[in-house]
Amino acid sequence: MKKVSLFIPCIVDLLLPEIGEATVLLLSRLGLRPVYHEDQTCCGQFSFNTGFRREAARMAVHFLEVFGEDEVVVCPSGSCVNMVRNRYPELLEDEPRWLDRARNLAPRVYELTEFLVGVLKVEDVGAAFSGKVAYHESCSLLNGLGVSEQPKKLLRAVRGAELVPMRDADVCCGFGGEFSSRYPEISEALVAAKAARFLESGADVLVLCEPGCLTNINGYLSRHHPDRKALHMAEFLARNLAS
Amino acid sequence: MEIKTDRFRETVQKELVNPETQKFLSFFPLVLSAMRSATLAGLPDSEAALASAAAIRAEAVERLPELLEEFERNATAAGARVVWARDSEEANRYICDLAREKKVACVTKGKSMVTEEMGLREELEKAGIEVWETDLGEFITQLLGLPPFHIIGPAINVPVETIRDVFLEKAGLEEPTNDPVQLGYAARIFLREKFYRAEMGVTGVNIAVASTGTVINVENEGNIRHCKSGPRIQVSVLSLEKIVPTMRDAFHMLRVLCMCATGQSLGTYASFDTGPRRPGELDGPEELHIVLLDNGRSAAYRNPKTRDALKCIRCAACLSVCPVYGKIGGYPYGWAYSGPMGQVVNPLLLGLDRTEDLYGACTLCQRCKAACPAGIDHPRMLLYYRSRQAEGDSELKGSGAPWSGKALHRFYSAAVRNPALWKAMAKGLRWAANRYEKDGKISRAPGPAEGWFRARDLPRFPDRTFHDRWKEIEKTLERGEKP
Amino acid sequence: MSANAREWILSRLKAAPGRGQSFPQRPPLPPLSALGSERAVLVDTFRQKLEGVKGEFHPVEDRQALCAKLEELFKANGVRRVVAAADSVLATLDLARWAAGIGVELRTPADFTDPASFKDALFREADAGLTGADFLMASTGTLVLAHDRGQARLISLAPILHIAVAPADRVVADYEPVVAALYESSGSMPSQATFITGPSSTADIQATPFTGMHGPRRLIVIVVTR
Repeated sequence: MKKVSLFIPCIVDLLLPEIGEATVLLLSRLGLRPVYHEDQTCCGQFSFNTGFRREAARMAVHFLEVFGEDEVVVCPSGSCVNMVRNRYPELLEDEPRWLDRARNLAPRVYELTEFLVGVLKVEDVGAAFSGKVAYHESCSLLNGLGVSEQPKKLLRAVRGAELVPMRDADVCCGFGGEFSSRYPEISEALVAAKAARFLESGADVLVLCEPGCLTNINGYLSRHHPDRKALHMAEFLARNLAS
Repeated sequence: MEIKTDRFRETVQKELVNPETQKFLSFFPLVLSAMRSATLAGLPDSEAALASAAAIRAEAVERLPELLEEFERNATAAGARVVWARDSEEANRYICDLAREKKVACVTKGKSMVTEEMGLREELEKAGIEVWETDLGEFITQLLGLPPFHIIGPAINVPVETIRDVFLEKAGLEEPTNDPVQLGYAARIFLREKFYRAEMGVTGVNIAVASTGTVINVENEGNIRHCKSGPRIQVSVLSLEKIVPTMRDAFHMLRVLCMCATGQSLGTYASFDTGPRRPGELDGPEELHIVLLDNGRSAAYRNPKTRDALKCIRCAACLSVCPVYGKIGGYPYGWAYSGPMGQVVNPLLLGLDRTEDLYGACTLCQRCKAACPAGIDHPRMLLYYRSRQAEGDSELKGSGAPWSGKALHRFYSAAVRNPALWKAMAKGLRWAANRYEKDGKISRAPGPAEGWFRARDLPRFPDRTFHDRWKEIEKTLERGEKP
Repeated sequence: MSANAREWILSRLKAAPGRGQSFPQRPPLPPLSALGSERAVLVDTFRQKLEGVKGEFHPVEDRQALCAKLEELFKANGVRRVVAAADSVLATLDLARWAAGIGVELRTPADFTDPASFKDALFREADAGLTGADFLMASTGTLVLAHDRGQARLISLAPILHIAVAPADRVVADYEPVVAALYESSGSMPSQATFITGPSSTADIQATPFTGMHGPRRLIVIVVTR
């Protein structure tokens, strides 16, 4: 069985481990053997984005040490993959040895839907859901990695599910990491708009691929529309797998 | 223009609840963006057109000093006077001295962000010279003492009643009216008399052409053309990065600028000046003074990581797609330049220490980078500013992060590299957060993240992390069971 | 002062690190339109684009029809005083005499000895400005005016009505031949060239559009087909 190395983001490890579990379930159902290096922790995105590059570089080196030998690394977060692929080169530009390793590893690190559709060539994972689904296009995934069709293909292949259009699906939900607590009023205005678009769409559930966006949107829904929820793609698919 | 970049937060709070601001933000950027997309789609090959624009700007920035020398040679040969200014003070002094020497009593100004940056109007007024902004939007903001709301529409959000009242008081409006068209015609009459009287016209420059020494302006109203036709003296302030190699490059860039700014294939009037009027001509300036302004641009140029900021053509495409600008409008950015391009440019010209919120208030969504015809990677630059501010940087005026920030990230970095410490941190975090738990969620928690909780909850931190659960998960995989 | 500033700025720019590295050769500029060269198509495209920006288009067959059209426009718009450019087309028409015959005062730059009186006429007296056009750009519906003594700037700017007259053989598809003629040929470059695409316009007050902000409220283009 083909091995796949799991890259579980820090926010999933600490706050939303069920997304990690769902990812494992999905991958094993598709005939893969997920492997988890237990000394992994964090890609360093938070420190890098707030300007602490020295510390972030150390975290990047640790990441490369953990994952450097893996053939395929899969991660249920576009922002983490964006960090590894698109930010590590700049972060490590003064350390040629690590820069090389980062460049080497980058093409082998995939966001989950990118992996399922692009590498495994799977769109129908065997899930069924009767209801309407809307999709939020997370910024790092869409603009950083160019991943947009893959998640939608997966959703369209879910038997019984109707993927409905949602206005402003590609507009930022206002998370932006530290932005959400440092500039809360702007962040709230954005997440309130996102929630409103979700409600307007008529969808039963909002699906997305980014744990950060998920925490942000569900955090707002919990306070203002507690009967509505957003789900991570891994969870949506895993929960609805036909037995 | 007064610098208010340090009042970002309080201005944001005002603007988020300002009905005029929110009304305009709900459609104006979207309309501009849609028009841009539609016009670009009408090109035979829009991708190639945009790629060429980015390539022109890349070459222009790469060859900047050589192009400036070439421009100076050719402009001078055509009869223009080219003057170099290290900073706003030098530029203002030259223009004020010139105005005094030529006995200028009245100046008309075309829409120009660089002269706002310089505060030129205030300096001329101090010298006792009458100065009139002539672009309708800038005329209104001048009368009201307001900063610009949007690069394309500086006063587009101002209610008609406010305009009516200030026009009654200061612009010779005779009969009160709330009709935008009648108000516009009143401004036409008022400013026409200034165009007639002015001895000096001041403009910015949209694009300068090295191979011919030409300065180009584009507009819809005609006020810039007036500044370049009636007065004896024309002063064109050229922000030194606004240069391209050839006239064909310039026309291509001009088309891209118009398409990206307003969705027009070409603005109503594009005027190309190569030297002052020729002998025998009945209009146009007798003297054309081109003031090349540095004011921090050569400093930005010297650092390869900030050089790309000079590619900007001020099209404002980035404003129209930015989610943050789309909620707060132009005022919070606190200076001549707003939106993502303001977040890139203001910190370089003013220093990182007084513009922290400008490069801080960005979700890194990357829409600006995608929309930029000049090939600027705004998020990359903002991330760079954040790192120079955190580290401290004497060139860029980064003041360094407070000790507490450094300590936090050092600790986090240690925990990331040490699994045992990570585990301990997870426990500590869970304990600290779940203290505030109620019914499975956390609705408030004092501390660095307290802003989050004003409108959002967090789920309780689970008792077992993914790390904690892995052994079990692995066992079920080995047994071939469903995890 | 400027010389010092010049040296300071240029030396800083030239000494910047990371310059002069290998620079990718730029591909040629892509065309911004695909209009071909058939004159009838180009004229019609010009018309469409002009009308799209609120300009008005009137084709006339010959010089006689041109004068008839001008008379019609002057009468319809209450035009009593005109300042006309003396470009290569208009100068051949002896317009001053013709205009006098229909009760319209028409002056050309040759009638003025100094800029001040010229400015007075354009700002305070002219009901209309009549110009030629050096090129008609079909892709954008743009008039190109290369200014000189005969084709003065204010004529197409100050009056509330601008009428431009050009023969159909001046229509081009896009900007390339215009740039070549004005800036890449051996002749001297114009002190100013203006590209006019529609009447003066703005939407700066509450996004309400209107024409005639500082320039003409109406732009009329008469194309002489023969």
